[in-house]
Amino acid sequence: MKFWLVLFALLLGCSSVKEKQSLSENIHIDVEELKLDNGLTALIVHNPKLPIFSLQLFYKVGGKNEVPGITGASHFLEHMMFKGAKKYGKNTMDFIIEGSGGSTNAYTTNDQTVYYENLPSSELEKIIDIESDRMENLLLDVDDFNKEREVVLEERKMRYENSPRGQLYLEMMQNLYQGTPYGRSVIGDIPDLKSVTREQIYKYFKRFYAPNNATLILVGDVSVRKAKSMIQEKFGKIPSSPSVEEAHKELKDQDFVPKWTTDQVVAKKGESPNPLFMLAFPTYKAGHPKGYALDVLSSILGSGKSASLINEYILIEKPIATSMYAAHQSLDKSGFFFIGGELVRGVKLNEFRKNLLKRLTGFCDTEITERSIQKIKNNYLTGLYSGLDTNAGLGSFLGERQIVFNDWRFYKQELDMYEKVSVDDVKASCKEVFVKPSVFVSVWNMHK
Amino acid sequence: MKNKFFIALLSILSTSAFGDSFLDSIERMKWGDLDVVWIEDSKFPRFNAAIYFEDGSLSDPFSGLTQGTFDQMASGTSKESQREISEFFDFYGASLKHSVTHEYSVYSVQGLTKDIEPVMSKVCELFTDAQFPKKELTSYVSRSKSQLKNLVTSHAALADRIFRQVSLTETPYATPVDGTLATFDKLNPVGLKERLSELNKTKKVLYLTGPSEISKMKEIIAKKCHWTSKSTFKNLELKKPSSQSAIYLVPVPGANQAQIRIGRYVIPQEIKGKYDHFNFLSGFLGGGFTSKLVQELRVKRGLTYSAGAYVSMQRDYGRAGIMTFSKNESASEVISIIRDVFQDITAKKFTNEEFKHQQGHQIGGFAFGFEETNAFLSQIMLYDHQGRDLQELVKFQDLIASLTPEALAQANLEAFPWDRLTIVVVGDKSLEKSLSRIRPVRILKYQDFL
Repeated sequence: MKFWLVLFALLLGCSSVKEKQSLSENIHIDVEELKLDNGLTALIVHNPKLPIFSLQLFYKVGGKNEVPGITGASHFLEHMMFKGAKKYGKNTMDFIIEGSGGSTNAYTTNDQTVYYENLPSSELEKIIDIESDRMENLLLDVDDFNKEREVVLEERKMRYENSPRGQLYLEMMQNLYQGTPYGRSVIGDIPDLKSVTREQIYKYFKRFYAPNNATLILVGDVSVRKAKSMIQEKFGKIPSSPSVEEAHKELKDQDFVPKWTTDQVVAKKGESPNPLFMLAFPTYKAGHPKGYALDVLSSILGSGKSASLINEYILIEKPIATSMYAAHQSLDKSGFFFIGGELVRGVKLNEFRKNLLKRLTGFCDTEITERSIQKIKNNYLTGLYSGLDTNAGLGSFLGERQIVFNDWRFYKQELDMYEKVSVDDVKASCKEVFVKPSVFVSVWNMHK
Repeated sequence: MKNKFFIALLSILSTSAFGDSFLDSIERMKWGDLDVVWIEDSKFPRFNAAIYFEDGSLSDPFSGLTQGTFDQMASGTSKESQREISEFFDFYGASLKHSVTHEYSVYSVQGLTKDIEPVMSKVCELFTDAQFPKKELTSYVSRSKSQLKNLVTSHAALADRIFRQVSLTETPYATPVDGTLATFDKLNPVGLKERLSELNKTKKVLYLTGPSEISKMKEIIAKKCHWTSKSTFKNLELKKPSSQSAIYLVPVPGANQAQIRIGRYVIPQEIKGKYDHFNFLSGFLGGGFTSKLVQELRVKRGLTYSAGAYVSMQRDYGRAGIMTFSKNESASEVISIIRDVFQDITAKKFTNEEFKHQQGHQIGGFAFGFEETNAFLSQIMLYDHQGRDLQELVKFQDLIASLTPEALAQANLEAFPWDRLTIVVVGDKSLEKSLSRIRPVRILKYQDFL
């Protein structure tokens, strides 16, 4: 397993590797940490290879923090955060960033919202100033707010109503997590998007978009000393949110446990002539020890042309499906294992569902071997190379762990966990998860 | 080992002006009659070998033959089954990818440096011994047809496919690379083997990134791939596209948005020597949030989520286009705004600030093109295919800095002359009335383009 060591040694010029007993002892990434009095955490990695850097600001807020009436608030704010703040004014941010050769964007999930910029090194001070300006003094101009509402509604159509795959995923989440915050749409329900007011969004913003709910990641050709000084100067004056901790405490793990106890079968009318399906089983939240075996299991079943599902259903003389995939999704408060795909016309959905459930339990005995697990570990390695090839990739890697586990070093535990995953672990997880009640959702133009 | 690529690059970027020195990071070699281009990159112990074939789908007697050949190359050899082959590559964490264009094809292999020998040996086995077994081919044809029939659910992809065929209708480039419902059944093991045999003989260039151990590949390829490399590329001479008098409306079921494509094909004489002008133009129109179209359509009016522009070129043809979408009821307004934007740029009705902004964007963003060595290598491959001198890349920032507003206006006039632009809208049938206020509307059936 020495390949893991090589990865991190080569990744960063300032990293060091000394071969010891376990992986976690062997890996060291030079991350400079800064914790401000107002609660902001900053992580800085110096990478001088090109005169560029990536800055990412992770906010611990997403779809799960919203309540009926303001669903989509985090995503709506993702749009409005580019519309301007007090110091730099309306609609200037994009011009400043792109005019210097940089790029910027953001994304929102159930658990977090991330804003990022990739810029030439000369722009560091300005972008720190801009990010602090919009954290402290977002404008939320009423005209822009109403115009952007239309853009968000068009985006929703693009992602859900006009996308059978988006429709399928939304339907699956709504059924799997019905009655829990994960059962709501991240982009927002249409009535909420049409009725939500600037005041409601502003209140939400003041509660969650504060230094004590954020982590700033900086990777690239920047002076660590100067960067720390700039972050202290620009962000240090922003007051922390007095109510955000309470908001997080209000969300209990048990509130995210699926409420149903028997198999759920959902048929959704859509435009797709070929039936699309997803089959999901509840599992464990991020960081749970059993999650790592489930990650490996999902790859054995669905990753690469040699994967079990691909060879059972697609690469056969009379294909049953044209695409199949499997994944284990670990969220902050819960998790789920899912299998999905596109079936060929003529496949009877109910028979397919029963067949799939039967074969999945059969896979637990036939597909999990020392070789198949080693294959997945080898693939994780090459995937990591690709993921960490850029400043933005490394920043995302560190930021995810800091925001979810409150410690960027958690990757060490993760690597150890993957290293230790055995045939018995994966078999046990397989046998445990596939006998649980499941949600089976299909989208098809033949459904009523 | 020091990384030559980054050392060369840093010295250039630190002076903010590119010189010849960065070309030193690119090593060009001959391995037998195979041309090799290598950029040393020791960041990770991995390699990427992209094999360029100077042959693409223009050589196909029917649509989808070259694509099918590459798609099915790993479906079985005389020694191994499809699953054994995929198991082999997956076990090593190696990935095989390919892309076919009309003029050229690329087959890429990525893996760990320590596995160069087994992985590349197996790749050579595929090129020399692929059997295209009937059973696997039948499955492939069935799946391909099923997926293509389902394209109606992806309105954006459907719009792209139809726009290509309509806007290039006067040329051989109109034919889809990846096959049609009518041609998939023509695929057979004998034809695929013959096509692979042709590809094994056609001119190839091997583009490599990775550490110095990559030189091991030389012996493997010489002994096991048995490639020869002879140019058979036949240049095509296209006429300029003729004028367009209609909007093509393609009704699709359940469309609550309209996908809009506007553009035309371009010929080398229009672009040659002015690549940077057109690159600048596409950025000015649709590159990023601050581009003209995104500002006019999304920021000022909230009509769309995204808008993009491109002017791209292969060797003998290129394409200039706009892609966006909107609510059905806004489709004609969006097209009118795009037309007005074209007119304004041609009339130089843009501010000096807007112009300088785009210059800053392209000059400042240049370094990002080098962050991933593979992306940089792909750019070199395209330059080579187009027959362009890499000195143009060296001088990119200077060329952009020297552009004038007049050059931008002229590039816009040449790339997007309104009366020669094809307009395709994929959306609801009810759009016919509003679109007819812009141009006469011709209704097309999407099924005719599958």
